[in-house]
Amino acid sequence: MTDLELVIASSATDAGIGCWDLHTGAEHLRYRSCSSPSHGLTCVGGRFLASSQLRESKSSSSSILYWSWNKPQVEVKSFPAEPINPLVSNSDGTYIAGGGASGDIFLWQVATGKLLKKWHAHYRGVTCLLFNDDQSLLISGSEDGSVRVWVFDDLLRGKAKQPYEYSFSEHSLKVTDVVIGYGGANAIVVSASEDRTCKVWSLSRGKMLRNIVFPSIIDAIALDTGEDVFYAGGRDGKIYIAALNAVADPNNNFGLHILGCLSEQSKAITCLALSTDGDLLISGSEDGLVRVWNTKNHNIARIFRYAKGPVNNIVVIKQPSLLSTRGSVNAQVPSVKRHGVSLAPPLEKYANSADENDYKAVIGPRIDPDRSVEASYISIQTLNNQIIELQRQGSSASAEMEIERLKLDRSRSMQMILQWGKKFQSLHQFCVTELLDGEQAGNA
Amino acid sequence: MAASNNTIENMYDVALKPRLLGSLLKEYVPDLKHQFRNPSVLSYVVSAIKTHHLLSESDEKLFDSWINRVVALSSSDTPDKCWAGICLLGVTCQECSRERFLASYAAWFNKLLLHLQSPADSHFVKVATCASLSDLFTRLSGLPNTKKDGISLSTKLIQPLLKHLNEDTFDTAEEAIFLLSTILDIFPSSIQRHYDGVEDAIVLRLMSGKCSPSMLKKLGYCLALLPKSRGDEDSWLLMMQKILLSINIQLNDAFQGQEQETIRTEAMRLLLPPGKDPPPPLGGQSLSRGTADNTLRPEHLQISRISTLIFCCCKLLTSSYPFQVAIHVRPLIALAQRVLMVDGSSSPGIAYMTTMKQEFLCSELPVLHSHILDLLTSIVKGLGSQLLPHVGCIIRLLTNYFETSALPELRIKVYAIMKVLLMSLGVGISSHLTDLIVNNSLMDLDKRGESSVAQQKLYPEATTKTSRKKRKHASTSSSLEEQPDRDVIEVEMSPNMASVSVKIAAIEALEALLAVGGSWRSESWRVKVDHLLLDVTRNACKGGCEDYQIAALRALLASLLSPGRTRPPHLSQGLGLFHKGTREIGTKVAEFCAHALLALEVLIHPRALPLLDLQSTDNNYEVGNKWFSGNVHTSDRAVNNTFHVGTSRKAPDEPDSYHDDLYADWMRSGEDSDTVAADPGKDTDKSNQLPETLRDPSSEKLSSFDTTVVKDSESSKLKEVTPNTVAKKNPMERDGVMVESQLTEKTSKHSEEIPPSKAETLASISGGKSSFQSSSLVSLGSENFVENASRKEVAEASNTGFASPPMMNLDRGKELMHESDNESMESIPDIVDVEPDSD
Repeated sequence: MTDLELVIASSATDAGIGCWDLHTGAEHLRYRSCSSPSHGLTCVGGRFLASSQLRESKSSSSSILYWSWNKPQVEVKSFPAEPINPLVSNSDGTYIAGGGASGDIFLWQVATGKLLKKWHAHYRGVTCLLFNDDQSLLISGSEDGSVRVWVFDDLLRGKAKQPYEYSFSEHSLKVTDVVIGYGGANAIVVSASEDRTCKVWSLSRGKMLRNIVFPSIIDAIALDTGEDVFYAGGRDGKIYIAALNAVADPNNNFGLHILGCLSEQSKAITCLALSTDGDLLISGSEDGLVRVWNTKNHNIARIFRYAKGPVNNIVVIKQPSLLSTRGSVNAQVPSVKRHGVSLAPPLEKYANSADENDYKAVIGPRIDPDRSVEASYISIQTLNNQIIELQRQGSSASAEMEIERLKLDRSRSMQMILQWGKKFQSLHQFCVTELLDGEQAGNA
Repeated sequence: MAASNNTIENMYDVALKPRLLGSLLKEYVPDLKHQFRNPSVLSYVVSAIKTHHLLSESDEKLFDSWINRVVALSSSDTPDKCWAGICLLGVTCQECSRERFLASYAAWFNKLLLHLQSPADSHFVKVATCASLSDLFTRLSGLPNTKKDGISLSTKLIQPLLKHLNEDTFDTAEEAIFLLSTILDIFPSSIQRHYDGVEDAIVLRLMSGKCSPSMLKKLGYCLALLPKSRGDEDSWLLMMQKILLSINIQLNDAFQGQEQETIRTEAMRLLLPPGKDPPPPLGGQSLSRGTADNTLRPEHLQISRISTLIFCCCKLLTSSYPFQVAIHVRPLIALAQRVLMVDGSSSPGIAYMTTMKQEFLCSELPVLHSHILDLLTSIVKGLGSQLLPHVGCIIRLLTNYFETSALPELRIKVYAIMKVLLMSLGVGISSHLTDLIVNNSLMDLDKRGESSVAQQKLYPEATTKTSRKKRKHASTSSSLEEQPDRDVIEVEMSPNMASVSVKIAAIEALEALLAVGGSWRSESWRVKVDHLLLDVTRNACKGGCEDYQIAALRALLASLLSPGRTRPPHLSQGLGLFHKGTREIGTKVAEFCAHALLALEVLIHPRALPLLDLQSTDNNYEVGNKWFSGNVHTSDRAVNNTFHVGTSRKAPDEPDSYHDDLYADWMRSGEDSDTVAADPGKDTDKSNQLPETLRDPSSEKLSSFDTTVVKDSESSKLKEVTPNTVAKKNPMERDGVMVESQLTEKTSKHSEEIPPSKAETLASISGGKSSFQSSSLVSLGSENFVENASRKEVAEASNTGFASPPMMNLDRGKELMHESDNESMESIPDIVDVEPDSD
């Protein structure tokens, strides 16, 4: 069975969250009532979906919603203190971070809903948030054009010497998307901005490595798994392929470091994602279509019709466990219940000024890695141990068995003796009578 | 059927199996009639069955006779035959075919159950019975649709098992406990009704002080599994709370006179928030009667109990449960803190303590500490990223503890915890652990007098920056001369195993640090650590413990691979060591070295093009790109050539990015001699001589140097330089340029009159023409010189391109030499000209 990969898409208009199987194209449930801002859709640890919400009007309160996999309705509603735009969760699904319109970033613990930390991260609204691959750095982009790198650990302990590790301020306009590559501290970060550039940064050095000017504003980036290239979705509807480790063909018409483009006369590209094997690129566009491209031959492999309105979020999730391959989501309901996984409590609005003693960690249901069936058969091992014990004849237990055996031997021998005795008796008797008879006969 | 055939083809012949089983039955398996003298034949029987899978697919008749024999044996009244039968039944459960097992497991179970229940059977038989039952359940758990049956069968077992557990005579039956934990693991709900009884029985055993260490472990594991049977969060939390309370109460007793009163009240308050009722004590009321007779001293007993309970906590944290649990982290860490703070010294002003008691406590404390460190490891493993809010607390704790702890086993564990922390929490945590790991491992790897030279090299250099040059040569020569002596010393002082394993642990922690955070805020320690690891590996490879060698080689590989701010300075030595290692054919060292060489190959031939094409400043950026994009495509032939030019053009930028700080490092830390020696093509003699010839530079020379650059770069196209001379000159140039840059550092004050604008115009002149590129870079570099006239800033200046021309030589010189028949050599003249003293 190949692992199931799901494509999840949402939009700013209330069209719900679309959910398709990437490889078969089958549509799963459509989760209702979601109008998410850009970068506002995330999957929490593979367990459930979460999305921040755009406010319908100034008066209504902002919210963050959770959906479980098997129900179209919203399951949990939280009401943060201010409207949250980007929302991200770490890969374990233990923390959720949300970026506020005021430039604040909020950090919650998922299992308890506790607001662990809130800090003023940017001068203007936060536009995108993401964790690095080992989940220890948080990277944020903002409307003020800055990209900042935060050490997650320092944040949680709340006593960092400096508020952020790096602040990259080379972008002159709003940052529209940020992605990070592989390699922990050695990773590269690629950011896109309304200043029509994408910039590549080195995390370990904290400086810009490359600046690429595009013909159009880039709203979405996806980084190739091998990091040879990255894909940049432009407002002109084209997806540009930009070189990282590839040699650029200087004859192209696009510009330096741009290798080529994928285009299908669509409206502006708003979001991009790659399948886990890197062979399929999924793009969301303002025309409401989700296109799946083959990255090898640059053709469209599939189109999902999301809605009439613009798509603004696409997430690819590898989800072998929670949904069955047949696509019947509901078949798996009992298993979810059996494992005791329930959706998390709502996120707190304010941090309770409690002491850290109150902090709870959640150990989820999990498989014990130590247990293997082969190792748990013991009778052969026991047998061998006991044989050694018997041969040494040292232990009381083996002595006990030996005694038992000897006792049995003894009783058998006793019986034998008795029998022999009887036989002897009768033989004796016989001989005596024989003798006597013979004598009598002789005498006679 | 092949059985009719008298010959067997080979050992894979299907006919072999039935024949083998038949002869086993005839000759080896005991029967009811004959005496059973030699139990070791059973071991042969079992191994034959396992190797040839005799029971899995043998024919019906034979299997029937096998099972009949086994069952008959197990009902024999002779204890040894009965024992043999039970053992073979256990093996049958594991080995027989699935259909067979499903058909008769219930009957077998009843057979075995009988032996467990009957009081007459000998102990030996009972142990075997438990083992066989455990295997029966294990097999059952792997089959579908047997859950119900399994539960009903195992429920029948609980009562007799409990009875045995509560009997005092049954105290060595680890198998009984194993059976219990198997059931808890596979069919937990069957114990639900006897939850309290089982808890009491286990705790009673555990506290009795009469169990072997392995038995205690099994008991602890069993107790930790118990909450599975109720299958809810509350029973887990209750168990944890009870255990922690019990530990803390016993610690109160054990640490009498060792700690402040406030600590114990705080510990209790964390576990039992004021106003809450305490839970029933662990193991109910059984404790009071369990302690009647024991041979151990009470102090010893107490520590062993506490240790077992701590082990139980570890298991609670790391085993798998089918439910999720929200736990308070603070009490666990507080417990660790409490124990690790006690070192056996009685604090002044605290209650009086007898010397006897103190002596005892001190003798047992290492055990306790070791268990507490295990608990910390389990906390890290169990909680993962959720530990983050508390990780500072743990690091503080470890830092303090590391200062005092001297016992090898404990240090090993602390290193292990740090390794797990690094691996699970990633790069963010690394900067907090760096000092701790680096300082301690420097101590552990150095202090036993092993590499005194290395020590000298590492420490004083940071302090003395003056007279750099003199010291440089001195240290080169001394390290070269003293190496043979060092060997002698080391061979003589072969360290004992304990200290070797501490070293291994320290090296492993360093490896983890390099792997996770080797390039994250690492400027301060990388050089030191890279050095140390090379030294350690060199020494390790001279022989000795294989584990130590491998640990050292692994860490060296990490040090070479982990991208730092500089090119790995010890690459060639490292390669040498790995090459040498591969020759130890058939050892693990050779295996690892082969792997390391594979990994390092990428470092030598980078697959990826460098990301950083030029300096990030826009000017350079544009310039760089013009030549790059402009040159790559001209005519076909030119493509070939200029592509080379292109890549080697890129090369100065790549090393530039790689090496931007390398030069600074040379300048700063005075380790030049080593780094220079690290370069494969480098001749150390020259580095000694050249400076002498270059001793007296003048400002004229320097200014003329700049003008020659302009002139020569303009004329370099006309100039035909034969590849040979280039190749010969290369090593010289490298030294020359390097030394020259040192010179300019000194004389840069004189060169202030050179207008920076000159260099700039030069850069723009050479903009589109590849052949001028390196000269333009040089001039850019010299521009920086002029600007940053002060000595200190020179080091920084190298960041912005100063170091690039020598770097290019260093790196690509070799490459160019190999490709010297290529016309792309036209780039070389520039560099030749750059050097003022080349002739």
